[in-house]
Amino acid sequence: MTLHSFTEEQGLLIDLVKRIGEEYIAPYALEWDEKEQYDPLPMRALADADLFGIIVPKEYGGLGMGVFEMALAVEYLSYYCAGVSTTFAASFLGAYPIILFGNKEQKEKYLPEIAKGKKLLAFALTEPQAGSDAFAIKTTAKREGDFYILNGVKQWITNGGIADLYVVIALTDPTKGPRGASAFIVERGDPGFSFGKKERKLGLKASVTTDLIFNDCKIPKDRLLSKEGMGFMVALKTLDYARCGAGAQALGIAQAAIDVSIKHAKRRIQFGQPVYQFQAVSHTFAEMAMRLEASRALVYSVAKYIDSGAKDFSGASAMAKCFATDQAMWICERAIQMMGGYGYMRDYPVQKYFRDVKCLQIYEGTNEIQKNIIARELAKLYK
Amino acid sequence: MDKVIVCIKGVPKPGTVKVDPETHTLKRESAELILNPMDRSALEMAMRLKDKYNCEVVVITMGPPNAVPLLREAYSLGADKMILLSDRLFAGSDTLATSRVLARAISNLKPFSLVLMGLKSIDGETAQVPPETASLLGLPSVTNVKQISVEGEKVIVVRETDYSEEEIEVDLPAVLSVTPYLDYYRPPSFKRMLEARKLDPLILSAQDLALPEELLGLKGSPTQVHSVFEKKIMERGEIWEGSPEELAKRLIDLLKEKEIFKN
Amino acid sequence: MEEIIIAYGEYNNGKLHPASLEILTPLYDIAERLGKKLVLLLLTEDFERAQSLPELKKALCHYVWIVSAPELKDYRDDLYSEVIIELSKREMPYGVFFPATFQGMSLAPRIAGALQVGLCAHVNDLKLEGDNLLMFRPTYGDNIIASLYSTTIPIMATLSLGAFVIKENPFSPQISKYEMPPEFKWQSKMKIRKSKPLIKEPSRLSVAKIVLAGGMGLKTKENLALLRELAKVLRAEVGVTRPLCHAGWAKEEEMIGVSGVSVRPKLYIGFGISGAIQHTLGMENSEFIIAVNTDKEAPLVKMAHLSLICDAGELIKSLLKQLSRESN
Repeated sequence: MTLHSFTEEQGLLIDLVKRIGEEYIAPYALEWDEKEQYDPLPMRALADADLFGIIVPKEYGGLGMGVFEMALAVEYLSYYCAGVSTTFAASFLGAYPIILFGNKEQKEKYLPEIAKGKKLLAFALTEPQAGSDAFAIKTTAKREGDFYILNGVKQWITNGGIADLYVVIALTDPTKGPRGASAFIVERGDPGFSFGKKERKLGLKASVTTDLIFNDCKIPKDRLLSKEGMGFMVALKTLDYARCGAGAQALGIAQAAIDVSIKHAKRRIQFGQPVYQFQAVSHTFAEMAMRLEASRALVYSVAKYIDSGAKDFSGASAMAKCFATDQAMWICERAIQMMGGYGYMRDYPVQKYFRDVKCLQIYEGTNEIQKNIIARELAKLYK
Repeated sequence: MDKVIVCIKGVPKPGTVKVDPETHTLKRESAELILNPMDRSALEMAMRLKDKYNCEVVVITMGPPNAVPLLREAYSLGADKMILLSDRLFAGSDTLATSRVLARAISNLKPFSLVLMGLKSIDGETAQVPPETASLLGLPSVTNVKQISVEGEKVIVVRETDYSEEEIEVDLPAVLSVTPYLDYYRPPSFKRMLEARKLDPLILSAQDLALPEELLGLKGSPTQVHSVFEKKIMERGEIWEGSPEELAKRLIDLLKEKEIFKN
Repeated sequence: MEEIIIAYGEYNNGKLHPASLEILTPLYDIAERLGKKLVLLLLTEDFERAQSLPELKKALCHYVWIVSAPELKDYRDDLYSEVIIELSKREMPYGVFFPATFQGMSLAPRIAGALQVGLCAHVNDLKLEGDNLLMFRPTYGDNIIASLYSTTIPIMATLSLGAFVIKENPFSPQISKYEMPPEFKWQSKMKIRKSKPLIKEPSRLSVAKIVLAGGMGLKTKENLALLRELAKVLRAEVGVTRPLCHAGWAKEEEMIGVSGVSVRPKLYIGFGISGAIQHTLGMENSEFIIAVNTDKEAPLVKMAHLSLICDAGELIKSLLKQLSRESN
């Protein structure tokens, strides 16, 4: 029941992502989840398909497409495995700062390789004492001649250890508080840069999460993105852009949950008829479908709004992320219920969707923080 | 290694096949064609060679005009040129008649280093066209190849026979059929997919290839269908219905009765 | 000159491929009926060793010809085919036939191309109709068999593995060395650098007493793994259908059917196999056939002695559960 029309290019993009999903993800997704294993196979396929270049401008070898196309790719990938789409989307989270704030040299150096999928990225803001309270970060970057020396720990960083490039927010002037933060590109292999253990998670098990450890990590001064003091500006703008990606993940997972559970409900015979014939069941599916389509409409319209050149879209993108992920959580929970015991068994994928989708309400800014953003933007309208 | 030619084939999508009741050959015009899955190995191998040696990749298919999307698919995987060998006179070709057309088209592309094909097609499954085409071209052929590298004027291939895995030195040019079991197959590139939409293959007819009619199609095929018949199905046996648990128990009892567990 | 029919005797590392003996069975009958002589042709670098092969003394043919030359040490497609092409031009055989082995399938098309003659594949039956040699193979569509003939001489075909049963010759064929003409060029564009024997077990499928076969009705790869487990319990061999091979779940050595292996066990159980003719021609000679399928109208259900109408995967799980309970 998709209510949207796409351009020919968008249609081809969706077909290509579906093909990658069917061939490189679907046969392995349950196994990766079960073994908590990151497999580079789908990343290799996405790279060969040019899909890491979706948001990279054409002059740097990318496809020069927008947030909407990025969201479509992430949505359809999430249908097959949200762990895989997390790895993919987290790389965009790392790429946005370079696309939005990189200078010419930085763009020329990094973007062609990013577009080709030769460099996987990560974005590092969170620290042990600075989760929702992002301004409480303690990692420092001290200027020494032509270098910056980084010290501190970033926590729960998606793609930690497997990414080649890390955009890291650190304090260049701790005395200035949030205005003393700056954004840096750190490369895997830089001296003094190492990784913590791989975290054990409830879901998204095909993706990798680790701590980043900076111990007198020395990087050249040209790794600074934008200017000193612009760190949170870089971070917040990046998150504004990327939030539609999290919303799109929710759409893909919820769609998968509905597809699997409705097929089951139409086949499962109890009391002499398919359980779908019971109104309590069919109405639940009607509700699931409504909530999904409402989420999809919101995510798509916000993505298109951003692509139209909108300047101020923090509130809109927060709504897309918060609403779609909350609805998807509800849909996945109902999908399990609609399948009864089958939904709870690890031979069936619905329990995986349920575990995967939970993280979406937490990462890239908890949904409570999203509501703070929405409330703040809302207040501006009623001054 | 300047030029690699890949021959691909459109096979009817399972379930869309129609057979001509008179000639008993496939009505390829009516079937929805998909790329013969085994030809993906030949294309992947060619693209690996292109990545490594920067050679030109020319892809050829013989078939009706509805094979064009397959050529575009090959283009989106990395092929540089597309050639469609299409003529009503080609219809009904057996492997010899097919190999004649391919050999002539390939010969016109000289100089080339390698011709790659899939091990076999999933419709006919004869696996004959690669060696037969090689034979008509007077070239060596190696089948079921899993690795290819180049050393000067020679190609070093690894193939799996019924007995062993062999590393073979072969003089160029050569015709190779590629194993259907590669470790990775790249998906199409989105950029090339967009480009391919606007590109058309070079189309060559029997006349363009200067091939005489009597060597082509059904007429030029020495293997002919004598008759086609439906195989009779024997009388229906016993049917058991019930839950899997129940049927499993009955089956085990039957197997015991038949003393299956004692052998 | 006596007219001959040639059967390719695949000789490798001191052993004759059994499929070469299989194809003698129908060819000998045809040769006898046409008043021609059947020749089993071996290519080797060691005449003495080849001619002392015990199987040759009982091979169902009139003559064994051995071409021997040091250049024939390794199997090289171009040189081996040149030898047979040259020999065919000189001896003008009525037919040249190959088992559908790796060698047979790579040699026959080279020879057919060079001689510009027809070549049939997957032939699993041969019949004379008058003077016309008909070759039977399955064709497109369900349950359709085509008989083909060749308008050119020699008639050529590759014959399906396991399609014919080896019969012994009550008399010994005459074994001789075949001399190639002195002007024959023993050259090849191929050089075998290294050869590593495959560690894979030779497939026991064609001689298995019990065969458990799986098709797409198994639905998941895990169910195929369970089928293998069940096969261990029953001491059976596992075979698969073509779609399963193409899905990459199993290798071609395990494929039952005309383009794969033909089986003739005492008991055959097909799990989730609808029974396309490709497959059924490779198992129809089984003594007792059981089909497991949800579809009562599936061709295999119609040809089976016994059919269990249920989900194949669920049945395998139940069988494993109940058998393990019994063994405890």
